[in-house]
Amino acid sequence: MTSAILIEAKPAHRSSAWQRLLARNGWAIGVWLLLGVLLFWYATLIPKFGAFQMSSISKNSLPLVYLAMAQAIIVIAGGIDLSLGALLLLSNVIAARFMVDQPIGMVLLVALAVILFVSALNALTAYVITISGVPDIVVTLATSYIWSGLALWILPSPGGGTAPAFRWLFTGSTSGIGGSYLVPILMMLIPAIAVFLFSRRTRLGLAIYAIGSSSVAARLAGLDIRQAKIASYALGGAMAALAGLATIAITGTGDPRFSVGANATLNSVAAIVLGGVALTGGSGSVLGVVATSVILIMLNPILTAMGINANSAQVIQGVLIAGVMMIGGLVTLSRERAA
Amino acid sequence: MSQSTLPAPTEKPKRTSGLAARIQHFVAESPTLVLSGVLIILFLITGTIQPNYLSVSGVRNMLLQAAPLGILAGAQTILLLTGGIDLSITMIATASAYVAANQSPNGAAVAILAGLVVGLIVGIANGVGVAVFRVNPLIMTLAMSAILLGLFTGWTQTILQGSTQVADFIRLLGGGSFFGNRIPYSVVVWIGVAVILIWLLRRTGWGRLIYAIGDNEVAVRLAGVRVWQVRISAYAAAGVLGSIGGILLGGRTGMVDLQLASAFLLPSIAAVVIGGTSTFGGMGGYSGTILGALILSVLNSMLTFLNVGQAIQQVVYGVIVLGLAWGYAGLTRRG
Repeated sequence: MTSAILIEAKPAHRSSAWQRLLARNGWAIGVWLLLGVLLFWYATLIPKFGAFQMSSISKNSLPLVYLAMAQAIIVIAGGIDLSLGALLLLSNVIAARFMVDQPIGMVLLVALAVILFVSALNALTAYVITISGVPDIVVTLATSYIWSGLALWILPSPGGGTAPAFRWLFTGSTSGIGGSYLVPILMMLIPAIAVFLFSRRTRLGLAIYAIGSSSVAARLAGLDIRQAKIASYALGGAMAALAGLATIAITGTGDPRFSVGANATLNSVAAIVLGGVALTGGSGSVLGVVATSVILIMLNPILTAMGINANSAQVIQGVLIAGVMMIGGLVTLSRERAA
Repeated sequence: MSQSTLPAPTEKPKRTSGLAARIQHFVAESPTLVLSGVLIILFLITGTIQPNYLSVSGVRNMLLQAAPLGILAGAQTILLLTGGIDLSITMIATASAYVAANQSPNGAAVAILAGLVVGLIVGIANGVGVAVFRVNPLIMTLAMSAILLGLFTGWTQTILQGSTQVADFIRLLGGGSFFGNRIPYSVVVWIGVAVILIWLLRRTGWGRLIYAIGDNEVAVRLAGVRVWQVRISAYAAAGVLGSIGGILLGGRTGMVDLQLASAFLLPSIAAVVIGGTSTFGGMGGYSGTILGALILSVLNSMLTFLNVGQAIQQVVYGVIVLGLAWGYAGLTRRG
């Protein structure tokens, strides 16, 4: 990990702004290029590539994109949150329970309340982590049970619903099928850019990078570690709530199944690591994570279009994830040898 | 992964004196006793809810539940000590049980051996990914879990078509008891595993290296140890333990399916953590994990007897795991 930091820092002086941008965001730019190539390839694979495919890929990616951004900001701060999937469930079922048959004004109010509530819950988790001294992974493992239990209590079986206008807000269509692809893409990019600017341009955002890089150094530099940590978890909670809201907009119902949340959590970890966020904290960018989340979602239709069945597709997806990380590991190794 | 970003222990004034300080000191020095105390209290509470629980058959049922969990948690103990983790352990267990069931018509010995080979191969593959290619263990084992699930879902229709029933001997091993139906065979297996594991970790060079790598990998490498070999062996050992746990589980249920062990993933990690092994590596041991697995099993029975429904069960489970971890961290760090 130290080598990555050195490589980032080296060209910082005496080189043009472009080189610096490239060196700092190399991995993120790489995965966006990969996403472009995959999109192009997918377009040539299927007979007709149009607005329908665009909207289906972009809206189906939304929950993972939000959840991966949440995981990214928390991991950058030096933590890890295994309860994000459970928070997605919780937000999904609260929305499904209270949005059903309500006018759009009320629905939006519920959405806002859900975001604030889930964000506060995760801030509480962070507070517990800081005062207890128990590692993040353990506390969030325990809270993942608590939140998914709560979700099951609120909505014992799949059901509930939301307003058609709310479905349009995330999917670009009041029925959740087809519709304009501009809406989901905007819903993906606006939060992504907002979180990116927050993490790179504000005091608090930089503090999050600082405590993830070295909490001792950050404390000695006079930063409020607890505040930055709680902020990262609160933001993560808000993004997880968005993921739950996007899920109800896409499916139209609430689903409290434990496995849905557990899988979502694991996918979010895979997405951020592939997106160039080191699990040791303090490095990586939120923007790369957006691209890898979309790639992970896109792999399925691509493999289906290639005529590969679902089981083999899952194997290939696993091999690809491990393979990419192996290549990354070899590159790091050869850099270390060369240095 | 280097642990360069270990959070600094929170600095708190520790103004305790007299009896309180001595109690804290005692607790910090003997975490095993405290965990045993928690176990006994939970056991007695469960007994008051369901009086039948405080009997030989109650204890036997508790141990039957705890044995596979304890063995899977043993795999996590080894890996957490090295600073790793295995998220594919339940898929290894399921896959091994599936292969064992498939080979059961050829006799129990072949079936068990085939199951163990599955764990060994997958474990080595995990180890190579983590140690040689330096893939983060979370990602490597997560990907492995997806790969196994995909492969076995496909194979159940093709090369693994046939028996999903395990051989009688495996069924006896996983669910049977002896000594007048008092002592489950699976507990005997668990005790064997525990003795070997504790001996390996405490008394052999390999065990010392496991702790050393978790504590400071760079120092171990500079001392001339081939760290990658130790890591691969750790993942291989974890894989074999996963197989043993899976085969016992298959024996307990008699039938295998691809969801066999999936519910054990988070408890297998929780048991290790409750038992006091650090998730950053280098600290802890298997004796704590055994108590952790027993505590979780008693907790499970208690929540089942309370008959509160799955939702409340999950909430209480989470609260108690968090409470135990918190209490443990608080008591041991201030000592």
